[in-house]
Amino acid sequence: MKKRQITRSRKAQVRIPFPVVLANILVFVAVFGLSYVWLCARCDTLGQDIKRLETVQRNTRRLLINEQDRWSSKLSPSSLDRALKRHNLAMRLPDEQQIVRVRNGANATATALAYNK
Amino acid sequence: MKYKGRTVITSVVITAVFVGLGVRLAFLHLRPLPETLSRIESGRHLEQETRGPRGRILDRNGNMLALDIAAKHVCADPKFISKNGNMQDVCTALSSKLSMNRAEVWELLNQPEKEYVRIKKFMREDALEPLRAMNLKGVIFEDVPIRDYPKGVLGAHVVGYANFEGIGSAGMEQTMNAKLQGVAGLRISQKDGRRHEIYSQRTVDIDPQSGADVYLTIDQQIQHFAEVALDNLVAKYHPNAAWAIVQNVRTGEILAMASLPTFNLNRFSTAPAEWMRNRGINYTYEPGSTMKAMIVASALDCGAVRDTDIFDCENGAWFYAGKMLHDSHPYGNLTVADIIKKSSNIGAAKVALQMGNTKVYQSLRSFGFGERTGLELPGEDAGIVWKTDRWSKLSISRIAMGHEVLVTSMQMLSAIGAIANDGVRMKPLIVHKVVNTRGETILAPPPQELSRPIRPETSKLMRRLLARVTQPGGTAPMAALPGYLVAGKTGTAQKVDLVNGGYYNNKYMASFVGFLPVENPAISIIVVADEPQQGGYYGGTVCAPYFREIADQTVRYLRIPPEGFTTEYLTDIETSGSSEESISE
Repeated sequence: MKKRQITRSRKAQVRIPFPVVLANILVFVAVFGLSYVWLCARCDTLGQDIKRLETVQRNTRRLLINEQDRWSSKLSPSSLDRALKRHNLAMRLPDEQQIVRVRNGANATATALAYNK
Repeated sequence: MKYKGRTVITSVVITAVFVGLGVRLAFLHLRPLPETLSRIESGRHLEQETRGPRGRILDRNGNMLALDIAAKHVCADPKFISKNGNMQDVCTALSSKLSMNRAEVWELLNQPEKEYVRIKKFMREDALEPLRAMNLKGVIFEDVPIRDYPKGVLGAHVVGYANFEGIGSAGMEQTMNAKLQGVAGLRISQKDGRRHEIYSQRTVDIDPQSGADVYLTIDQQIQHFAEVALDNLVAKYHPNAAWAIVQNVRTGEILAMASLPTFNLNRFSTAPAEWMRNRGINYTYEPGSTMKAMIVASALDCGAVRDTDIFDCENGAWFYAGKMLHDSHPYGNLTVADIIKKSSNIGAAKVALQMGNTKVYQSLRSFGFGERTGLELPGEDAGIVWKTDRWSKLSISRIAMGHEVLVTSMQMLSAIGAIANDGVRMKPLIVHKVVNTRGETILAPPPQELSRPIRPETSKLMRRLLARVTQPGGTAPMAALPGYLVAGKTGTAQKVDLVNGGYYNNKYMASFVGFLPVENPAISIIVVADEPQQGGYYGGTVCAPYFREIADQTVRYLRIPPEGFTTEYLTDIETSGSSEESISE
């Protein structure tokens, strides 16, 4: 029993205490390293996100321009004319005889002045 | 002991491997060989230059006439396709979806040594949807911008086109090329083993900048009116060509400029060069009687004649300087007012003689004949007005009726615009404004006065004289518009026979140039037909009705109110003039 105690006390005597400063440095380096790795990974992820969004933006812009182009084409006067004909809408401007123009101002009479000739 | 030996050997080997790797790493990083370094760099280096899209061309109301859209080149990897053994399927799919000859596609694909061939260029994305849905292995779609003209033929000669390299080659695309062209973008970065960009290594990233937007003075609706009217003219009279211009009298802005034959801007490469000609500015011709308006205006302005002065029109045939000069109808005595109304050649010649060579020449130059108007479109012709030292004794009588001078329709419209605009000739404008990508207006040409060929009082008188041309008894009653007084002048000129000399007996240039409303002119219009083939050849018959068609729709579209008076306005001139009722040129 005694021999055992002696052995333990010897072990206790030879154990070198781990320096606290070194331990702190190692912890700091480990934390720093891990942070660096995490930040790198984060940057890579963000970079990939940016690349993906750039592609999305490019495609959306392309889609927008193509749709604007098609819309503009549909709004051309000849397209509108064709559309009207397709739906049997015979639209034309009124004849001069069909127009009653109303004037206001100093010379206006109480009733509308129609001056078509 | 046995295990200890193995442990030592393993440790030594592992250590040696790591030391070797470390040394290699140190060499690579600390003292790499130049060729190694350049090989690594070139493998990693990524440099992309992106073309900035061209700016848009729009009409005065912001309707798009030209813009860059996304398109694709259809490409293929023949090596990959032949390795995978589906050449037949890919060839069939490509030929059917791209409407191409199968043999042609097969010839392109049957090059197993190549990794890249271009099957078809500049395909619109929507047209490629069916092909993309097939997900063919070895077929690649390459992004490329393409210039598109959503209105097709509308305003083709004004808008012009940009070639496949994105360089403006006609019309406004050419004139405003420097402003329309975008600024290329640049990206310098590095790529990984899969050739994907490593975002974190991006060192330069300059976005491409779009070119500026060019707004024209053209109104697409008025342009449409003009083009439809010309279509109708061509359908009825079958001329070689016909063209029309509509201008804002006060500012000089061109509201429409149409020319037939025309072409679809989206297929410009297939159009014959003759169709691409903007005849409004680059076709010179002897204008015929339309020139009388300027001669009489100048004569009145310089006091050589008065509108009530009477000239003997020799019953339609006058022998002068050894040559006979004819009127198309015989007239006796005509006032200056009636010389315009009846369009008497003899009367106009005698008015010009009252002025003399020098004053006639000066008046032509002050109306802008013989020089470019400065319209910002390529290919404008200056026309020809010879100096008086090259005139023969006969010249003054011929110039008075619009021969021996060459003009463009733009010049003629500009000149009639001066008569309408109180004697002030305005510079024709085609660019309304130029707006950059930040929305700032970088160019907005203001209305610009070119000359004052006549006084405002003469302008006022001339407006009334020209209004009589569209009244019964004038040469162009078909140009009259109910509710408005229309002023104008017809022109019917025999064409010059360049081969045999002299004039053709059966080839004419018919035209009508005019403006309305007379008292407060807002728009001027010219309609010209080159060699009408059937149904007539007089300007008053061929062109006046289509002048009226354009004017009728334009005044309503622009909400130009009628003046509230009609022929009574001209009564004092009517009573002072002769009473002949026949219509002639």
